Amino acid sequence: MWGQYSYGIFVVMIAAVIAFFALARERDDLHKLLLLDLVEIAALGVIALLGTDLAEALILPGLTVGIAELLALSQIYCTKEGIREMPVRGLNIEVIAKADAPLIISIFLVTYGMILSGFTGGAVAGLGLVILFISRSYREDLNLLEMASGISWALWIFAFFIFMFLPEYWFVALMGAAIGILLKVTVKMSLVGTMWGEQHD
Amino acid sequence: MIDLIGGTPYYILEFGDELVYFTPYTITLFLLALTFTVLVIISRPEKQVDIAFGGDAYRTKDISLPEMRFRRFMAIACGLASMGAMVTGDIFNFALFTAMVGITNVGIVAAVKSPHVQDAAYQYGLVALAATIPLFAGAAVYAAAIGSLSMIELMTGTLPAVPLIAKAMLVIGVIGEGMAPFYAAKAEMFRAPGAPYVIMCSLSSLLIFLRVVEIVMLG
Repeated sequence: MWGQYSYGIFVVMIAAVIAFFALARERDDLHKLLLLDLVEIAALGVIALLGTDLAEALILPGLTVGIAELLALSQIYCTKEGIREMPVRGLNIEVIAKADAPLIISIFLVTYGMILSGFTGGAVAGLGLVILFISRSYREDLNLLEMASGISWALWIFAFFIFMFLPEYWFVALMGAAIGILLKVTVKMSLVGTMWGEQHD
Repeated sequence: MIDLIGGTPYYILEFGDELVYFTPYTITLFLLALTFTVLVIISRPEKQVDIAFGGDAYRTKDISLPEMRFRRFMAIACGLASMGAMVTGDIFNFALFTAMVGITNVGIVAAVKSPHVQDAAYQYGLVALAATIPLFAGAAVYAAAIGSLSMIELMTGTLPAVPLIAKAMLVIGVIGEGMAPFYAAKAEMFRAPGAPYVIMCSLSSLLIFLRVVEIVMLG
């Protein structure tokens, strides 16, 4: 295992050196930010090389911190450059807005996501809904979606309580957690697809 | 057996994955962070006075309430993150708290709505973001090489030696996260409106430097 790890870390280090070299040469502020996002992947690679459950548990906070700093920096960039908020109303591409392809793709993705279930399934199904929403400039009452997200989250937590207090019903808990996280991630991702910088309340 | 710069731990709290311990060294740093956080909570922003040379004219800078609130919030968050970094006994948690100190430092600096301060904050933010890479990679190499992230286990001396590269990456990460007071022209920052909160930048980076020295000397 140690041998494989050494090779892996060697490759990641080379990638990091290349990315940092590009960063040192870059002069444009926005491009620097984008390159840093790329460099961040190398750090995730080093953590992922652990190849254990621990790595999975460590990647998530690492990723979250990276995204938080990225968001903060992009906000500072917008303020610094005096960039105003510009609401975008969907993708104004005629082919996407009129054709059936987005619908077919999203039906396929949602079905596949439901078969996968769990966190991954939620992400896949959510991606399908994102594609549909951004292609159709969809207007809908989002409160219902938010409520569904909240309820499915409660289901997920409830399933964890079953795991803790009634371990003999583990199968029910497993199914509950899988469905809960599937719905929650799907809804959260589809909400992302409908938010184009407009204020919903 | 436990012979360390931090002294013998007084108290070790193990709660699942969370590991907190107090040694004479860390408790001193913790109390320092706590004191300054309390000072930040109760203090009011200073109003700087600009004096025009060659005359009697002077003017005070005004700080709007939302700006002051935001800075105070960031300074308090920075204090909490520093306290966390001081007492945690887990190397990955230390990396997380250090990254949080970096973000809040950027926030404190960036609250000033003045173009050159924003520019400095952005450049500093780039450094802080770049520093998360060696920081987390260092923690990951710690876990890979010695099979543990617990500082208590590191203290016992039963684990294999920590590779130099892991220590180096951890230190480089902390240097990058804590470089706010050095990077964003210090004098300029302290003269900027809303002075007392900026002190948290200096204090938090000092504290994380001191803590990383202890961590590096453990293994």
